[in-house]
Amino acid sequence: MTSRMLWLRWSWRDLCARLAQVFGLALVIALGTGTYAALLSTSAWRTQSNDASFALLHVHDLRVALSPGYTVPQGSLLTLAHGLPRAVEVAGARERLIVPTQVAGPKGVLAPGELVGTGPGPGPAVDAVHVTAGRGLSTAAPGGGRPAVVLDLGFARQNHLPAAGLLHVAGGRQVAYTGIGQSPEYFMGGGGGTAVFLSQKTYAVLFSSLRTAQHLAGAPGRVNDLVLTVKPGSSVPALRTELRAALAAVTPPVSATVTTRSDIPSYRVLYDDIKGDEQLWRAIAVLVLAGAAFAALNLTTRIVEAQRREIGIGMALGVRPRLLAVRPLLFAAQVALIGVVFGAGVGYLVGIPLAGVFEGLLPLPVWRTPFQAGMFAQAAVIGFVLPFAAAAWPVWRAVRVQPVEAIRVGHLAARGSGLAPLLRWLRLPGRGYHEVPFRNVLRTPRRSALTLLGVAAAIATLVTIVGLLDTFRATLSGASAEMLHTAPARVTVSLDSYYPVSSPVVAAVRRLPAAGRVQAGLIVPGTVRAHGTSVGVAAEVLPPRAIWAPALFAGHLTGGLTLSNKAAADLGARVGDTVTFRHPQAAAGGLATVSSPVRVAGISPSPMRAFAYLTPAAAAPLFGLAGMTNLLTVLPSPGHTTADLQRALLNVTHVASAQSVRAVTDGLRSSLDQFTGILNVAAAVALLLVFLIAFNTASIGTDERAREHATMMAFGLPVRTVLGLITIESLLVGALGTVIGLGAGYGLLAWLTATTIASVMPEIGVTAALSTGTVAAALLLGSGAVAAAPLFTLRRLRRTDVPSTLRVAE
Amino acid sequence: MTAVPAPPAVDARAGAAGTRIDLDGVCRWFGAGDTVVKAVDDVNLHVDEAAFVVVLGPSGSGKTTLLNLIGALDAPTAGTIRLAGRDLTTASRAERTLIRRHTVTFIFQSFNLFPALTALENVQFGADVAGRADAAGIAGEVLGQVGLSSRASHFAHQLSGGEQQRVAIARALATGNPILLADEPTGELDFRTGVQILELLRAQAQAGRTVLVVTHNREISRVGDRVIELSSGHIVADGPPGGGKAAIADLRW
Repeated sequence: MTSRMLWLRWSWRDLCARLAQVFGLALVIALGTGTYAALLSTSAWRTQSNDASFALLHVHDLRVALSPGYTVPQGSLLTLAHGLPRAVEVAGARERLIVPTQVAGPKGVLAPGELVGTGPGPGPAVDAVHVTAGRGLSTAAPGGGRPAVVLDLGFARQNHLPAAGLLHVAGGRQVAYTGIGQSPEYFMGGGGGTAVFLSQKTYAVLFSSLRTAQHLAGAPGRVNDLVLTVKPGSSVPALRTELRAALAAVTPPVSATVTTRSDIPSYRVLYDDIKGDEQLWRAIAVLVLAGAAFAALNLTTRIVEAQRREIGIGMALGVRPRLLAVRPLLFAAQVALIGVVFGAGVGYLVGIPLAGVFEGLLPLPVWRTPFQAGMFAQAAVIGFVLPFAAAAWPVWRAVRVQPVEAIRVGHLAARGSGLAPLLRWLRLPGRGYHEVPFRNVLRTPRRSALTLLGVAAAIATLVTIVGLLDTFRATLSGASAEMLHTAPARVTVSLDSYYPVSSPVVAAVRRLPAAGRVQAGLIVPGTVRAHGTSVGVAAEVLPPRAIWAPALFAGHLTGGLTLSNKAAADLGARVGDTVTFRHPQAAAGGLATVSSPVRVAGISPSPMRAFAYLTPAAAAPLFGLAGMTNLLTVLPSPGHTTADLQRALLNVTHVASAQSVRAVTDGLRSSLDQFTGILNVAAAVALLLVFLIAFNTASIGTDERAREHATMMAFGLPVRTVLGLITIESLLVGALGTVIGLGAGYGLLAWLTATTIASVMPEIGVTAALSTGTVAAALLLGSGAVAAAPLFTLRRLRRTDVPSTLRVAE
Repeated sequence: MTAVPAPPAVDARAGAAGTRIDLDGVCRWFGAGDTVVKAVDDVNLHVDEAAFVVVLGPSGSGKTTLLNLIGALDAPTAGTIRLAGRDLTTASRAERTLIRRHTVTFIFQSFNLFPALTALENVQFGADVAGRADAAGIAGEVLGQVGLSSRASHFAHQLSGGEQQRVAIARALATGNPILLADEPTGELDFRTGVQILELLRAQAQAGRTVLVVTHNREISRVGDRVIELSSGHIVADGPPGGGKAAIADLRW
């Protein structure tokens, strides 16, 4: 009986006889397994890095935040915490003063932001600041020099600011930022209710001592925030309940929210995003591996067909079918193994820049990127099994054929024309052989389908990734259109507290030469609840004939609360429904938090969930703040720009921030641009995959149809014409595969948008979208890459030994 | 046996010299040093006019190699080849392609029809490549002349061996080229069908083409106007068939 070494040598020769195809396929498998391993390794990296970073800076477990504009005496919140029944479970506690501000800095930077002043307290630090450049916080009393702050890393990086410098803040004061740093609540931005991750360029966070913040805010001895960490084994929900009860019992009443660590937008996004991304990476890796499986099936089918007669001879000699299957299966196993080994290398190489990309996009204090052996092993198993299993099927079919069929030669061995007869009606202008490419596509329907599916899988990957960017851009365009449809030059001015409309601060704004029309309004945070779902909103009170009002697509502004489309969808609320609105309400000497039933009066098209609106008539009974304002809408006066107005407002006392409407979406758009580099890489990888799959098929086709091509050349058809026919066939398959890939990619994008993105970024209503440019680029590049693949067989065509090829096979 | 219809005329572009074949001292060697194989060695061969020439020899005698050299599929190691007055010896790849397009045409032992095309379309391919006007019309006519009009819309795998070979002949005829090279045209066919094929080829010679048939079957050589016998790459005999020329109907193998 034949030895094992004979089978190995034999299959090795099979390998060597098709080296180009084998390496093409191995590269496809390598791309699939390497991509799978590298991408899914990032999940473990990010989890470990998140855990280490949050632990390093002692992120809070509980936070008490008073309603905007309200403060209490320093020490009172600490006293409240010490008086809790479970006070022993508190590990660390810090009082803070967090106030909105406006920041003007180097390089013409002008942005709203907030000042976070943290005081001393018992136990270890809570929400500490990790300084990455320059010097840390100074506790020196202000007055001698400029107040010192540390500038948020995200803002500094996005605006390319130096490690230290001077800033002007609201009220016209100058501060020195001595360093750049990060605090856990702001790892990904999200301060002041802004969109996490996408707002770091346009929202500045300044960290300082409590004393410095009190001085800059003009609120000496006042605080409005408390953060706590708890000891291991403590019950956070129980402490939360106790805090709420304690706050409700305080006099004068205090309106405050009590949140936990999981309510921190950055915290939530950093962890939830991992799961979401993992779904996306898995989908992409599976698509790539599917492409590899299709290519493997194609190649193995060809190998088996080439060995058909030898298999038949083996059968005739009485060799068992199982033994006959060894040779082609060995071939498949060797190719899969080569692919997996390459894949380890590809994964390692991809992982290096990938780690750098993530460290750049998600700047955490601690980054851990250990080699994920388990993930590579998983990738190796899948990368081996998938193509091997795909190859097993044609082998199984081959050994079940009747021996007499297997050993037929010449015209007696001719296969049918597949589905080519379906195109019998097709008559193209010009030469009759112009129809050959169309017929050939249908002549081998299985191979054409496998190539098509492989191309579709790769294009679907590309479309999904690029489509994510299109989706966010479309969402931003929608938000932008809504915000800019009227008075696009307006500036939104936040005051540091509630003031009467006739107060000096409003008068000071009106007197500014750069200020044109000034409209006093209110913005009040709250929560809307319906059908068991809660949504956080910032309800803006719009006066009659407001400078800007939302363009509704359902209902009216009057008679209740106008919700955004996203909020209404999440709540399952329609115009006319009654929802529960939990909000602050003026009470004796303070603000109390109350719940009120409110009718849904209208729905605006805004994708931003938090945007809600009321008229003064509807707001008055709810908030009890008639005649008060904390938000001004200002138009620049003729001859002045928005920037002129913002700079002028910087010097007005009690103006916390002034932001142009346009700056919000512009900043979000530029944040999205940083993804372009990653997407270009992803697009290049997907196209390479498409090309490799197409090359594989073209190579197999050239192999299999060598006789036909040689016959054409024997009749005097030049090589370029033969190549042209092969290229058109490839283009047909590529175009069809690309169209299917576009559909599949859009389907996957829609699914991801509805599931993953909706859970990771619930604040924004995102609907899957593909730009015309993306569709056109996918069609062109996908079809082009496939059409170009046969060009690499030109050398083989030109070197065809026509006589040898046409010789009768023995 | 089906009566052989009148053969189509040779393309007028061929001209009187279109059927001429001249080989002088032609050699074709493969390999180098100790492993040289002299497939064709110092062959001198001249065909002046339309004729039915049989190249006879056992396996390995060099007959197919000789046919490939004449058909501009291969280049000689030494010597000169002229076809229809044109020198093939130093012809470029593009010039060889043109010669195959307009001067010679092939009929293969294993037919080599295109599986994705019908019988009619396979024949039309020959006319299209040769650049003939109304290729579709010519294809229909030629297919009828080989007796396969009723099978025009059938694909290759739906035809018998004999029918496939007749389609292959029709394809060659549709080119209108003056020199027809047939490599073992009856090799895969039964006796009766082989006879039909020979009759078709014979008719082409009568119509003014030069037909070269390569075979190892000595019986077939009896119908040639001229038999060139090869052995180990050399011509060992060149003249009328031994024992006299026979009618196709008298053949037995």
